[in-house]
Amino acid sequence: MSRFAARDKPLALLILALAAIGLLILIGPVLIVLLTSFTTSQALRFPPPGLTLRWYADLFDPARSAQIHVAAGNSLAVAACTAALSTALATGAALAISRSRATWARMAEGGFMAPLVLPGIAYGLATLMFFSWLRQPPSFGLLVAGHAMIATPFALRTIGASAAGLDPALLESSAILGASPWRTFRRVVLPLIMPGVAAGAFLAFVSSLDNVPVSLFLSSAETDMLPIRMWGMMETSLDVRVAAASGVLVAVAFLLLVVMDRAVGLVRRMAG
Amino acid sequence: MAELLSLAQLLLPTSAMLKTSPIETSTAGHRLDMDGIRVRYGSATAVDGVTLTVEPGEILALLGPSGCGKTTLLRTVAGFIRADAGRVLVDGRPIDHLPPGGRGVGIVFQSYALFPHMTAAQNVAYGLEARGRPKAEIVRRVEAALAAVRMEAFGERRPRALSGGQQQRVALARALATEPRILLLDEPFAALDRALRLDLQLEIKRIQRRFGVTAVLVTHDQDEAMSMADRMAVMNRGQVEQVAAPAEVYDTPATPFVAGFVGTSNRLHGKIEARQGEDYRIRLDVGATVTVPSQRGFALGERVLLSARPEHLMLHPDAPETAGSWPARLRLSLPLGPALVHDVEAGNTELKLHQARHGAPPSPGPVRIGLSPGARPALFPVGDAT
Repeated sequence: MSRFAARDKPLALLILALAAIGLLILIGPVLIVLLTSFTTSQALRFPPPGLTLRWYADLFDPARSAQIHVAAGNSLAVAACTAALSTALATGAALAISRSRATWARMAEGGFMAPLVLPGIAYGLATLMFFSWLRQPPSFGLLVAGHAMIATPFALRTIGASAAGLDPALLESSAILGASPWRTFRRVVLPLIMPGVAAGAFLAFVSSLDNVPVSLFLSSAETDMLPIRMWGMMETSLDVRVAAASGVLVAVAFLLLVVMDRAVGLVRRMAG
Repeated sequence: MAELLSLAQLLLPTSAMLKTSPIETSTAGHRLDMDGIRVRYGSATAVDGVTLTVEPGEILALLGPSGCGKTTLLRTVAGFIRADAGRVLVDGRPIDHLPPGGRGVGIVFQSYALFPHMTAAQNVAYGLEARGRPKAEIVRRVEAALAAVRMEAFGERRPRALSGGQQQRVALARALATEPRILLLDEPFAALDRALRLDLQLEIKRIQRRFGVTAVLVTHDQDEAMSMADRMAVMNRGQVEQVAAPAEVYDTPATPFVAGFVGTSNRLHGKIEARQGEDYRIRLDVGATVTVPSQRGFALGERVLLSARPEHLMLHPDAPETAGSWPARLRLSLPLGPALVHDVEAGNTELKLHQARHGAPPSPGPVRIGLSPGARPALFPVGDAT
């Protein structure tokens, strides 16, 4: 036993070191942005010479950051609609394909999952070309449609896992007890897959909120989106409010993650 | 071609469901007929032309090995599977066109399939609510159903907080609360401890008798079929090989398969030597000549299979050579309370013997085997042997 441990020690150390480097690469930049958002300097520079909350005050000032607020409002509205649409689509898809071993079901699942591997920028361009071919001007609805395409696979992942865990005998029991399909869905299916649906809605919301490639092509002056606006601010002025906005986004996402994980075991569901 | 109802199909309304109101009748005394039912999955035939009648108030067991079609047949009666041919009739009226919920059929699954997010009482109320019964009636009937299975004290518990046996009783209460005309039991004891099984079998049979409900029990466990059923249908490869009372199936199996599947049997091959009335003299390949009565007709010189129950054979530890016995070697004797089980080798066949024990078990070694006096082992033409 001890001999094995001694022999495995270098390997264990190596794995630990790799994990530490991985975490550093993942978390490091986020910490740098967070620290920078408190800088007293006028520029996005690290390390900050001193710490202040003035950029957050600026960010939340309705007069000075009106455009950012409009963009944030748009982003939140699009994300909310996207989450609703994706969750509805993914729930329907998951119920139809989770139990079937037929070829069509596997193909449909592949189709729903395809946006995950599709290069975002190519997909963004494709949606723009497609919608202009249909002579549709950019609009809120098109943005939601484009985002939903990207967000649905995330929702399908967690809802599909929940639906696959449903005992078919429960549905048969409900049917033989005289329940209509709608009652079965409302009283049995939905309550039992609810954790997966909630987790899926959260993932869809977050993936829409920070989507750049689709928004880049489909947003217009009226539908300015937060990530696009932040990118514009970076390009023109290296505005420190961008760091502050990033800080807010990170904090909100983290808070939601903790709440969701407490409520429905989100981390476990994403891993599954 | 039969198709399993997929999740999506269960969730889509069927025209029949919208048109048919649930059947409202009392539970007792309905007759179930399965008439020429045939179900195919692709090229495989799961149920191959089964015709069975379940008499009012009776428990019929569908007994057979896995894959024999018994579960498919049950699911056809429930309406989860559409038969390719044949009809299901309750009280003489076909129910094939009705959805599961409109057939007046209740089911208890092997997994019990209680809704895990509802309490026991909510589970029992589910079918009554789905059928739009008035609130006061639901409360009254839920109480009555839980009391019938002696679970009235556990109404507020979730299934997770109940033992396997308690869950099964709630599942039974849920099925009976909607007053089904036919009760289907799909291996309802398979998930229970052996010690619990007999108690629950007795309890379910008692409840079934009290309600007078006609029931079909699917099982692969012959003891369960024996203890629960009034009659049993032994199934093999999609067909019914014998339908009879359990004792009759055991005593006079209709086919070699039934003889092998229900109870233990020793298979001995031989040839018909002589016949006198219904008694046949058979020359066994192991080197003995025995006389066995049989209702079947056999020709002189015909090859036959003699299927002997363990209690049909007798051990003679130090008997003289007689024409009716053959030499064998006793390998092991297990004293099981008042009985002895012998493991015996004769030529290249293994035999199991069961007889009353007197004193200490005999020691292993050469012995002679013969038919017990009055034993009526089953005789089959060898063409049937599988």
